[in-house]
Amino acid sequence: MEAHLLLEARLPMLGSATDFTYKWCVNMGLERDDAARMALATDEVLTDILLHGYKNESGYIEIWFQYTFSEIEIAIQEKGEPFDPEKYRYDPEKAIKDHDFEGAALMTIRKMTDQFLFLNRGKDGKEFRLVKQFTSSHIKDMLPEHLDPEDLDEPEPDCDYLLTPATSEDAEDIAKLIYRSYSYTYSKEDLYFPKRIETAIKHEYKFGTIVRTESGGPAGYFAVIKSTDSMIGEVGEAVVSPNHRSRGLMKKMMNELIKMSNQRGLKGLFGMASTFHIISQKVNDKFGFKSTALILAKSPQKLYKGMTSETSEIVSVVMDFLPLTKLWKKPVILPEVYKDILSEVYAQFTKQNQTISSADPAASGTDQTDLGLTINYETQNVLITVKDYGKTFETSCLRLFRSIEELNLNAIYIDLPLNDHRINNAIKWLKEQEFIFSGLMPLFHHENDFMRMQKIMAETDFDKIKTYTDIAGKLKEIIKQEYNAIPKK
Amino acid sequence: MEVELPGDFNLNSVRMISEELGDRRNLHIDLSHAHFVNSKAIIFMHKFMFGEKNGKIRLKNPPKLFYELLQTLGLHTTWNLDEIVEP
Repeated sequence: MEAHLLLEARLPMLGSATDFTYKWCVNMGLERDDAARMALATDEVLTDILLHGYKNESGYIEIWFQYTFSEIEIAIQEKGEPFDPEKYRYDPEKAIKDHDFEGAALMTIRKMTDQFLFLNRGKDGKEFRLVKQFTSSHIKDMLPEHLDPEDLDEPEPDCDYLLTPATSEDAEDIAKLIYRSYSYTYSKEDLYFPKRIETAIKHEYKFGTIVRTESGGPAGYFAVIKSTDSMIGEVGEAVVSPNHRSRGLMKKMMNELIKMSNQRGLKGLFGMASTFHIISQKVNDKFGFKSTALILAKSPQKLYKGMTSETSEIVSVVMDFLPLTKLWKKPVILPEVYKDILSEVYAQFTKQNQTISSADPAASGTDQTDLGLTINYETQNVLITVKDYGKTFETSCLRLFRSIEELNLNAIYIDLPLNDHRINNAIKWLKEQEFIFSGLMPLFHHENDFMRMQKIMAETDFDKIKTYTDIAGKLKEIIKQEYNAIPKK
Repeated sequence: MEVELPGDFNLNSVRMISEELGDRRNLHIDLSHAHFVNSKAIIFMHKFMFGEKNGKIRLKNPPKLFYELLQTLGLHTTWNLDEIVEP
């Protein structure tokens, strides 16, 4: 589970903070040596902040502990005096000869982590991000040679299937199923690592169902990945073994997942369907999902086993949404410039209450701009979540953009809450910064609706983006027009 | 002076040891409860051993990361670990 520490910037808190870091990392599945490395890197950052950022002044330091299926990220934020940890380069010769150890802390941090980022957000503070990836065995190294993917082409005789909730003990079977069905081509790499699956199920980051044959062999798996900041989940992992296909297993699993999601109180499910082909979009449509956004450059190139069409360089996705509550309401404020398309998106959800939300928009705005940043290192994109527009929206965004300039990004996404009239000015300004429309992200953060805009740095070929539903086609046309209107450098 | 650290060898421990140390030239530190020794602690020990004081340090049960960090900072050949680390 994610954790957040608010610490007074004083020397005695160092030990408690690093003790917690070590224990949290071990609990989330890092090997003990790697957990100690993260604790040491955290200690070095905190020590530097105390010595150079706050010196003898009082202040606070916030630490966010974040988990994904492939890595641990620790984000340390503070607002002390400006200092640049990257200014000094460590030189061992100077250390030995002159006892000059400048840069030793940074050298230590870099060595102990897989990735270290220093984000200078000016008046909004400084941020240090430490990342460590999980090291665990790939399923291929755990399988005997005779379990080759090609062995599954012959259909097995029809039999009774048993659906049960997936537990952490099913992790190895799930990884086997993925490997034997897709070889190396499944888009979510984490599913090839049993330990990662085990940890994610154990900590309830995902839940799902597994189908077994009468003899106990795994035939299918389907899971929901829970959002970390809203009561919704992504139907993100699905597989049916090739020799058990066309027997309605996907439908049975999806119905089971909807039941499980309702039991857990989720308010909606979403799917990010690849636009490389329309198969996933068709499946989502069949189960009542409705298209709400088109997200460009979502992940790097993927190859799909059994698909004959050519590969695209960057995969874009259609966001499909299935509400699980009838109480979900259209928000009070829809931005003028996208009012028509957003109204059309909302109109698809005929089973939901079509009246607008009664929340008072004026009450929701504060003076302080508050932006959250999520970096997806694997897919080379970032998501900025606007928690409050505040009075310094533009300058805070600019500082944030500058701080992430050095990352080699394919896309920047920004989610704008639909609860404040200031969204109109925000959109106008973001368009000047070459952001374009993406669509509606329903109940996406803290059970509130957001509108997503996107800035795409990767070359996008719209001819390779396939859409299935009418609304996805309309979204594509608007986005294509805006994309083409941006002067190419 | 003999010290048994209750946790990691960090800046806090460095300051506490420095305050107590005075003119003493021999320092024995038990690191059995430490997961790591940080760069400030390494610098402190380096200056203690190779600076004006020319002190002697003995370490009991240093964690694995101590050796890793010493190598990272390029000090592993300068420090005589056979003398410093208790067998």
